[in-house]
Amino acid sequence: MTEEEIRKENEIVERSKRDSRAFTELYEKYFDRIYYYLLRQTDDEETAGDLCSQTFVNVLNHLPRYEFRGLPFSAWLYKIAANEVNKFYRKKKGKKIFSIEEVKVRELVERNNTSGLEGWDEEILQRLLNYLRDLPTEMLHVLQLRFFEDKDFKEIAFILDMTESGAKMRTYRALDKLRRNFNIKVKYNE
Amino acid sequence: MSKHEIRLRRQKLTGRGSERYRNYGAVLQRHEEEKRIKKILRAFTFFLIILILIVLLVIVTRMEKKVDKKTKPGELSLIINS
Repeated sequence: MTEEEIRKENEIVERSKRDSRAFTELYEKYFDRIYYYLLRQTDDEETAGDLCSQTFVNVLNHLPRYEFRGLPFSAWLYKIAANEVNKFYRKKKGKKIFSIEEVKVRELVERNNTSGLEGWDEEILQRLLNYLRDLPTEMLHVLQLRFFEDKDFKEIAFILDMTESGAKMRTYRALDKLRRNFNIKVKYNE
Repeated sequence: MSKHEIRLRRQKLTGRGSERYRNYGAVLQRHEEEKRIKKILRAFTFFLIILILIVLLVIVTRMEKKVDKKTKPGELSLIINS
């Protein structure tokens, strides 16, 4: 996202603080991204739809207190959505679900497959899924935001309430494990 | 045992799956409702605080009156003695 785009978005946000109807533009722009982010974390369309609505209601409720910190507005939306997901799982007291698209995993591996891994078959996929299953939940969340939602480390740090170096460290450790297990090189800052 | 579950989606999440839930009008309506409830709650809390203060004031005034009544006979005897 360019500086100009971020500035324009911030202008809309400032307008929306005075008139909630002005927020329509940002709602239309980010609805799909937030909905699919929530769907990837719940694997249930109806739950994702409800959480998405609640996310945007919370956004409107807290909009007057929003302060621009040099990050895209979407980072704030993701942060509120992530809080909604955490609230949902705390209430449900169940295991957190990560719904991962085969295409995305395949893209990630093939894009960075410079050595070792040959072809793509069910066995590799199952091994990868086992690897993801064994990762700590926090690490998986960082990976999801980094590679499936295309967020940079500054945004990830803001969304997950951690330091930028902490987000980098978690990603590096997860990918180091991947590199050792599958003999592939995944650039963590790509 | 891991704290999360991985579910594999064979197909990419695209298309018009989200359209069913896209409704800014409903979101705006809920926001206005929550704003109204917040305002009512704030007014109620304010009213409650004022009420508690008034009740405390009444209790303190009554207690002061009781203390005054009790001390008056003593004061009279002091005047007679002098």
